[in-house]
Amino acid sequence: MTAIAEAVRAGELPGRVWMYSNYHCNLACSYCLTESAPKVSKRELTSEAMIGVAHDAADLGFTALGVTGGEPFLLPDMAHRLAELGSILPTVGLTNGTLFTGRRLDAAEELAGTDVALQISLDSADPDVNDAARGPENFAKVVAAIPALVERGVTVRIATTGQDPDAVAAARLCALHRDLGVPDEDHVVRPIINRGRAAEAGMGVDVTESDLPAELTVTADGAFWSPFGPTVVAGQLDTDLLLTRTTVPLRVPAQTLLGLLQGRPAGADSTLNIR
Amino acid sequence: MNTAGALVTAATPRVPLLDAASAPLTARRYFSDGDPGPIVAALASVPELLEVTLPFLSTVLSASALDARTKEIVIVRTSAVQECRYCIDAHSVVALDTGLTVAEVRTLSERSPASLPDEREAALLAWIDAVAGATGPVQDSVAARLGASYRDYEIVELTLLIGATMMLNRFCTALSLPTSTEVTMRLTEEGLV
Repeated sequence: MTAIAEAVRAGELPGRVWMYSNYHCNLACSYCLTESAPKVSKRELTSEAMIGVAHDAADLGFTALGVTGGEPFLLPDMAHRLAELGSILPTVGLTNGTLFTGRRLDAAEELAGTDVALQISLDSADPDVNDAARGPENFAKVVAAIPALVERGVTVRIATTGQDPDAVAAARLCALHRDLGVPDEDHVVRPIINRGRAAEAGMGVDVTESDLPAELTVTADGAFWSPFGPTVVAGQLDTDLLLTRTTVPLRVPAQTLLGLLQGRPAGADSTLNIR
Repeated sequence: MNTAGALVTAATPRVPLLDAASAPLTARRYFSDGDPGPIVAALASVPELLEVTLPFLSTVLSASALDARTKEIVIVRTSAVQECRYCIDAHSVVALDTGLTVAEVRTLSERSPASLPDEREAALLAWIDAVAGATGPVQDSVAARLGASYRDYEIVELTLLIGATMMLNRFCTALSLPTSTEVTMRLTEEGLV
């Protein structure tokens, strides 16, 4: 057993490895960590690279994968990529959920019955509140996509990003996701992080690496501590949570991450429910 | 090699120089005592290289079996042969602090052939000029002259020091790393600018 596998098994190292498939997005959310938007540099990982990371991760003893962006489903073969990844390790794919119509919705059927869950962003049961952060008609597209995916057998989770939602708004949102076919255990709520576009807008909570899950995250620019690491401000990549520029073989950043974790003071764990 | 004679003053670095706030996790310790200088600030963009390069450079360039004067002669002279403005400036200050005179530093940092009155150091300068200032084999006569003054293990270390300095010379020159204000002020005070 590798040292990585032992650390994952012991709970010292999170089991999930994240990949930023791309940085461009059809949306430009107000709190986006990566300043993603339609015109930004795509900075894609190829399908071969992602599959390679997945095999490396499995060999090292990681137990799960995650794919985020940008909007991964701007890459036309993303459903197939996710299905391949899911055949290697359980995978969650983050998406804004606004592209699941026509051929993309049909393609997503490949995920039915696989070990892949799609995690779709939905911030409020109030369309105006949701769309203020995520863009016009976002709410309508998402609440149409979720049941369509669920009906096709795709596992869907919902992620809500926001600061201090009141109890009434939270209850309305939970009622909505249940109506859409997503159970409570598949609804995650997380704070806005004061990085990326949120930092420029003065939003979100300040974090250091000890607040963020130490989930190894691979991007076209290198490997980072947590998927909240490779953020972008004013077009410049943040490097404060960079582990290594080397991503292949994956053991190079994985060992760096493990070394940092094992040198970390006891009790320095994530406390902000950042997932 | 640029033989035009005029050294190019580094103005704007060609790569980002990271600071303490942007330093990657494993590089942060190099920033804990303040500005670590542009070599570290540049290397920090690739932290896994910083992790191996800096201990190597530190071992080769700092205190060792060779005395500090000899090492600074090697570094300043190699940098002059390679025309690395950043390294000449930075190590002229170190050389002065090590005890070399202003005249010696001026002699070593000229592009034209340099010599020192002590035969041991003169042989070393010939070796440096042959290793750092040319390509291809080093003449047997130059090696023999060095061998008359230095033991084998010292020649190994001297030659590695020349090579490590050349690596830094090209790194600093190609990336236009800037001389610090403090170094420029000191060199001005000493009449070396």
